[in-house]
Amino acid sequence: MKALILNGSRKGDSALDAASDALFHMLKGAGYEVDALLLRDLMIAPCDGCFDCWTKTPGVCSTDDEGRIVPMKMMQSDLMIYLTPITFGGFSSELKKGLDRITGTLLPFLTNVNDEIHHPLRYEKYPKILGIGILPQPDEEAERIFATLVNRNALNIHDKGHSTVVYRRDSPEKVAEKIKALLAEAGAAK
Amino acid sequence: MSSPKKALLLVGSPRGRNSSSEALGGYLLDRLKERGMEIEKVYIHPSMLTEKDQAEMLQAIDRSDLLVLASPLYVDSLPAPVIAALETIAEHRRTKMRKEQKLVAITNSGFPEAYQMDTALAICRKFASETKIGWAGGLAIGGGEPLHGKPLADAGWMARNPRKALDIAAAALAEDKPVPKEAVDIAAKPLIPQWMYVFVANRGFKSQAKKYGAQDKLYDRPYQA
Repeated sequence: MKALILNGSRKGDSALDAASDALFHMLKGAGYEVDALLLRDLMIAPCDGCFDCWTKTPGVCSTDDEGRIVPMKMMQSDLMIYLTPITFGGFSSELKKGLDRITGTLLPFLTNVNDEIHHPLRYEKYPKILGIGILPQPDEEAERIFATLVNRNALNIHDKGHSTVVYRRDSPEKVAEKIKALLAEAGAAK
Repeated sequence: MSSPKKALLLVGSPRGRNSSSEALGGYLLDRLKERGMEIEKVYIHPSMLTEKDQAEMLQAIDRSDLLVLASPLYVDSLPAPVIAALETIAEHRRTKMRKEQKLVAITNSGFPEAYQMDTALAICRKFASETKIGWAGGLAIGGGEPLHGKPLADAGWMARNPRKALDIAAAALAEDKPVPKEAVDIAAKPLIPQWMYVFVANRGFKSQAKKYGAQDKLYDRPYQA
């Protein structure tokens, strides 16, 4: 079993370190082989909206840079975990630059999935999507947007997403407790 | 007599001048100009590439009273450079600039259902609230791909709903009022019936792949574990 952590922390921000450590150890303890990408350190160009990954080089982004690592590692994983500061309810730009490059993991066509139009799946199996967001303090609106966004990302692969939010003031024990509950909810705990 | 209000269009598509974001935002900008506002336009993607361009974008923002963010939907949210721009603007307003401004957001996507853009618009609204910019409302245009980035005024019958919605929005915004619900509802109306949209889109993808000689590779699984 493989887990991929997509770390979207911004330069100079260590607030995610406690969650990152807890997550890493918990996944290891549950028997996962863990791979973590610190996205801000990767040379990932923004998606240029060309759709080449659908119609010219199907499944592969035509921009040959480290952005290709994200869909490749995603498709080799059983769990894909977003670890991100919550910015305006959504993901940080660092996480998003990686996620914008996974479009080719789906087929270009449109199809009806549970009464909503989505892209059909390119692969038979996709990782479960989990989101861990961090906020300075509780923020009901931001937390609602974050949970919805993680779930909508999972809907793209015709699945249900799971997410949790940790606060900067949370003790390491509290952070570990929230992550443990998240993994249990997703059926990924030991 | 007070000086005219200024509107700034922030184009959030990497396709820039050939994008539906430009077509939609540009149409609104022209209507605001007709109503006496001064207008300006900035392309976010190139503006985020260097510090100098970023500084120029921030100066253009500082000059404006109304910010119009026109952006495509990327993976249920805004494209990464647009989020990076919002992060930069938030930091700028926190430390240097607290001018009274308003934000209106226009999103477009290839999915026919406008509500698939609710999360992206919620992020825009949250950005406005956190940066103390007034929220003037959001418009979502679904199934926008057939517009092909053509200027709305030249896009004929296909663009009738976005044009009407943006006309109504411009009338309100020029008077410093939020986008009326009527405009939101009209913008959300499908341009063509859903079954027809899906049929045309799927045929379009196949013919595009054929043009590239990739029709036999459309279902490839390059990263199969």
